[in-house]
Amino acid sequence: MRRAFFAITGLAAGTTALVVLKAAPGTGHLDQAVPIAAPSAADEPAPTTSPEATPSKARSPKPTRSATGASRSGAGAASKSPAAARSGAADPQPTSTILGPVVTNEFGDVQVRINLVGDRIVNAAALRLPRRTAQSDQRSDQVDSRYSGTVGMVVERQSADLDTVSGATATSDAYRRSLQAAIDQAR
Amino acid sequence: MPRRGAFGRRLLVVLFLGGLVASVLPWWRDTPTGSLTGATAMTTAAGQITGLVAGYLLLVQVLMMSRLPVLERWAGGERIARWHRDVAATLLVAVLAHVALILVGYAGLEGRSPFGQAGVMLREYQDMVSAFVAAGLLVLVGLVSVRAVRRVLPYELWHAIHLAAYAVLLLGYAHQFSNGSQLFRPGPVRTGWIALYVLVVAAWLWGRVVVPLWFNLRHRLRVSDVVVEGPDVVSLYLTGERLDRLDLLGGQFFRWRFLTRGCWWQSHPFSVSAAANDRWLRLTVKVVGRHTQDLRNLDPGVRVWAIGPSGTCTAAHRTRERALLIAAGSGITPLRAMLEELPPGAALIYRARTPADVLLQEELDWLSRNRGLRVWYVFGSRDDPGPRQVTTPDGLRQLVPDVARRDVYLCGPPGLVEQYRQVLRQAGVRRRQIHLATFAL
Repeated sequence: MRRAFFAITGLAAGTTALVVLKAAPGTGHLDQAVPIAAPSAADEPAPTTSPEATPSKARSPKPTRSATGASRSGAGAASKSPAAARSGAADPQPTSTILGPVVTNEFGDVQVRINLVGDRIVNAAALRLPRRTAQSDQRSDQVDSRYSGTVGMVVERQSADLDTVSGATATSDAYRRSLQAAIDQAR
Repeated sequence: MPRRGAFGRRLLVVLFLGGLVASVLPWWRDTPTGSLTGATAMTTAAGQITGLVAGYLLLVQVLMMSRLPVLERWAGGERIARWHRDVAATLLVAVLAHVALILVGYAGLEGRSPFGQAGVMLREYQDMVSAFVAAGLLVLVGLVSVRAVRRVLPYELWHAIHLAAYAVLLLGYAHQFSNGSQLFRPGPVRTGWIALYVLVVAAWLWGRVVVPLWFNLRHRLRVSDVVVEGPDVVSLYLTGERLDRLDLLGGQFFRWRFLTRGCWWQSHPFSVSAAANDRWLRLTVKVVGRHTQDLRNLDPGVRVWAIGPSGTCTAAHRTRERALLIAAGSGITPLRAMLEELPPGAALIYRARTPADVLLQEELDWLSRNRGLRVWYVFGSRDDPGPRQVTTPDGLRQLVPDVARRDVYLCGPPGLVEQYRQVLRQAGVRRRQIHLATFAL
């Protein structure tokens, strides 16, 4: 029974330690994820753009990516929580689909599509991802599974402010740029 | 006889801790450093960690009850039972923490009260109804296993409730994969977690079905004789086939199931009370409850289903050459079985209420004449001068001056065993030299 006592204490201490460690390097940021939807919510009737209607207007952000280290925006905001994904309420609002531009980096092309209900992103998908080698294929999968989908980080954060997937910095960065352009277009 | 050391046991502990780390690792890798800001995120994260830990511990609990021969051999049934109890307490706390933290965390994210959040999860989240039922069952199983509660419940009722733990495994399964942040995505983590379940179920089937089936078809045990040893003690003699090939050490026990009406559905652990021989097995049982009462009336020829052998309270597990055995009441039976396997020079302190309560005395006397066993019978209840004297470090040293250099085997009522364990530690006996044969949880 004494062992059980130690084990329970260990559980509490261990859990606390893990959480504190992950919270540790206080980058002192306020909630960055929140503001996106708030300001423009009322006025726009949210353009009902069909997928074909928006060909990649290729507002292509410069395809050259010089500073890899620059994309250290990784210290994002909230933790990932499946709860946040569940709020797709019954909607009278119009839905729309917007295609981001093709962003090219040294591994290949990245293009992102988002689905919106009103102002809210409800789905994100990568139409193109670098697939030239087994390794880049694997990294693309990681990026895709973290960011895309109805419960991915894009839907959760409602912004292009996404944590960089470790080991796939360039692809993460290209994804974010295509996504940002799509979001800009939507608003 | 080859010694069986502590290597296997330590390996099991290392594997357990490794698994624990591995089960929290996906969370660690998925969560970027510095991403947990604010109480809500932290609460949710703590809920995820405790959930992963609870999921892992539940699997460990079932694995420990799988009767897998390698576990019985490396750790021993008694020790596994103690581990099971300790892990159970931790598991219960982990599950309660998981439920509370997730509710509070998600409620914070979605701007509800925790109770409102519980309602939303039950209605809208996949597989959460069964998960809540599983948590409730686990709490029930935990409550009836609290010592004070368990003591007042009949064993059969307690056991029936305890079987609900398997329902917990089943009902708690789905929600981990439909809602678990680390597990809902296809990938190595999800696959690994499912594989863990498959492994545990396979181990359970192996230990509970395949091995016993093989053992019992091979040995075909039957009751051959029931002998009254004392006012409420009987010995059962069992015969069977190929008993010379039985890998049995003195001091080990089987879980027995007597296949007659009224008895077949219960399985109870009893020690073998005689050294292994190729003609018969004997178990000596004190009549304490309905089941043991029925054992008195067994007819010769009754089939017996046995799972075992199990237990590490044997001569092969000792660390020193010589041994001291301390038995109380019917606790003599497993110790009696190992006497022949100990080298000469062993000492036995046998506590009984009155001389009439001494069991197997002829055999002990024979062993004392022929195998150099020294026996002290100590009569009286706990507060009489004789028993009091032999439960002090000095009293023990007077009887057995080299007690600190012996392995000590204890078997008797849990309270007495605990008392002796402390006295022995005071007398300078190291922890690994002390072997407990209690089966009490």
